[in-house]
Amino acid sequence: MTSTAPRPSQDPPTEPSAGPAVALTEVHKTYGTTRAVDGVSLTVERGEFFGLLGPNGAGKTTLVEIMEGQRRADSGTVAVLGMSPWPRNTALLPRLGVQTQASAFFVRLTAREHLATMAALYRCDPAAAERTLASVGLTEQGDTRVDDLSGGQRQRLAIASALVHEPELIFLDEPTAALDPQARRSLWQVLRDLKGQGRTIVYTTHHLDEAEALCDRVAIMVAGRVAALDSPGRLIAAATPTTRLLVPAGRLTPEQARAIADVDRVTEEGGSLVLETLAAGRVLAAVDAITGLQGVQTRTASLEDVYLELTGTGTGAPQP
Amino acid sequence: MSAYTALSQAGYRAYTRDRTTLFFTFAFPLIFLVVFGLIFHGQTVEESGKPYINYIAPGVLSWGVANAAVFGVGFVLMQWRRDDILRLIRMTPTPVSTVLASRYVLALAIGAVQAALFVAVALLPSFGLELDGRWPLVLPVLVLGITAFLALGVIVGSYAKTPEAVAAVANCLMIPMAFLSGSFFPLDAMPGWMQALSRILPLRYFNDGVSGALTGGGSLADIGVACAVLAGFALVLGAVALKTFRWSDKS
Repeated sequence: MTSTAPRPSQDPPTEPSAGPAVALTEVHKTYGTTRAVDGVSLTVERGEFFGLLGPNGAGKTTLVEIMEGQRRADSGTVAVLGMSPWPRNTALLPRLGVQTQASAFFVRLTAREHLATMAALYRCDPAAAERTLASVGLTEQGDTRVDDLSGGQRQRLAIASALVHEPELIFLDEPTAALDPQARRSLWQVLRDLKGQGRTIVYTTHHLDEAEALCDRVAIMVAGRVAALDSPGRLIAAATPTTRLLVPAGRLTPEQARAIADVDRVTEEGGSLVLETLAAGRVLAAVDAITGLQGVQTRTASLEDVYLELTGTGTGAPQP
Repeated sequence: MSAYTALSQAGYRAYTRDRTTLFFTFAFPLIFLVVFGLIFHGQTVEESGKPYINYIAPGVLSWGVANAAVFGVGFVLMQWRRDDILRLIRMTPTPVSTVLASRYVLALAIGAVQAALFVAVALLPSFGLELDGRWPLVLPVLVLGITAFLALGVIVGSYAKTPEAVAAVANCLMIPMAFLSGSFFPLDAMPGWMQALSRILPLRYFNDGVSGALTGGGSLADIGVACAVLAGFALVLGAVALKTFRWSDKS
C-alpha cells in the first residue's frame, strides 16, 4: 500500500503560509502498553480534503488530537501550518478549527449565545456568530437552549463552533454521525464550500460513501498505523480490479455463467447471480448474447470494499 | 466583546438561569442565621456581654460567602472539564487567566449580594444585629476572603472529577473549618488548643475581619491583620491553583 513520504521542511519560519497544512513524521503515542499511534508519517496539503478512516480504536482520534495539539506525541515530529501545536500554541490556535465528538456547549445558553461566546473567545466580531449559525442552518433554532436542541442540531452547532473564526485548517470528528440523510447532504455542501474557499479539512468518519464523495485523499488506519493512503479512486483501482455483474435469478444458470470466458467466480446472492470478472466488457457481451442485458447491474468496488479488505483481518499492510 | 466579558456573561447567564442553585446560594447562610438566631435568641455571650447575634452573624456570613466561593468555582471547573467545555476554551487563544478572572468577578458579585442580603436580614429587629460605624471595612475583607476561598475552590475543582467528589472534598474542608474557626460558636468558649489550631485556618481570619468590621469587636489593627493573612492565603492558594489547573483529564 502507498504512504506519502514526509517532505523535508522547506518553508522558512518567516513564511508560514507556504508548506503543507500538516506534516507528521514517525509519530508514536503509547498509553500504558497500548500503541495508540504506532509510527505514522503523512502530509496533508493546503486546501486538501483529507479523510481519516479506520475502525474504532485504530488511533484516529488520538492522531487527530496530536495534530490539534491536545495531546503530546511520545516521539516523532508534528508540524501544523509550519508550527508545533504542542505545548498549547496560542499563535496557531486561531488558525485551527476543532470540532470534537462530544458536543461541548456552555451550559444553559441558547445556540446563538453559545456561538457568540465562541466568537468572542476567538476575538472575532459578533456578526460572525450569526453568519456561522446561518451557514449550518440553525438560524431558526438560535434562541433554543443548547440542552433542548436535537442530536442533529447539536452536531451542527458543534461544527459551527469550529468554524466561527473562519480557520484555515479544520478538524472534524465524525461530523455527520448523528445527522439524518437530508442534514448530511446539506452538511456536505457546507464542507464543499469550505474547501472551495481554500480551507484545509481533516476529518474522521465511518461513512465510507461520504469519504469517497468528499475526500481528495484518505488514510485508512489499522492498529495505530496507516495501512493505506491515497485518493479514494486510486485506492479502489489498486485494491480490487474485480467487477461484479448481477444478473437477475433465472435468466442464466450457474453452469452457463461459469462457461463464459473470463468469469472468475459465480455465486448466488439475494435473488441475483453474481459473476466476478476482470474483463467486464467481454463478459457483458457474452451475457447479452445469452439472455440480454435487461436488469443486469454492474458493480465495481467501492471504498468500502477496500476498507473492509484492509481492516477485516485486523492487520494492515505494514508501512514502508 | 472581549473573551473576558463573554465568559463572565456566559457564567452569569448559566448562574441566574439555574434557579435552584441561585436560591440556595443565598438562602443557605440565611437558614443558619435563622436557626442559630432562634436557638440563642436574647442570650448574650458571657465574656463580652454582647448579644450572641454579634458573634453568629459575622461568622455565618463569612462561612456562607467562603462556601459559595469554593463550591461555585469547584463545581463549574469540574463540570467544564468533564463536559469538554474547558477543551473548547483551550482550543481558542483565550488564556487561563481570563477563564479564572471571569469566575473571579462572578464570585465577587455573588459574595457582595450574599453579604448585603444577609446583613439586611440580620438587621431586622427579630435578629437585632447592630452595625458598627466602621462596617464599610467589611468590603476589603470580603474581597480578600473571596479571593482566598475561590483559589481553594479552583484547586478542588481541578482535582475532583465528579460532582460527588467536589461536594465531598469541599464539605470536608469547609464544615470542620467552620467549627474550628468559630463561625458558629464563639472561639472564646472553645478549648485552648482549638483556639490555637484556628490560627492556621483562613476562615478564622475571614471571621475576625468580618466581625471586626461589622460589629466593632477588636481594634482596627485586628482587621488589618485579618486582611494581611487573607491576602497571604490568597497569594499562596492562588499560586497553587494556577499550578494545578488542568484543561483536561487527558495527557
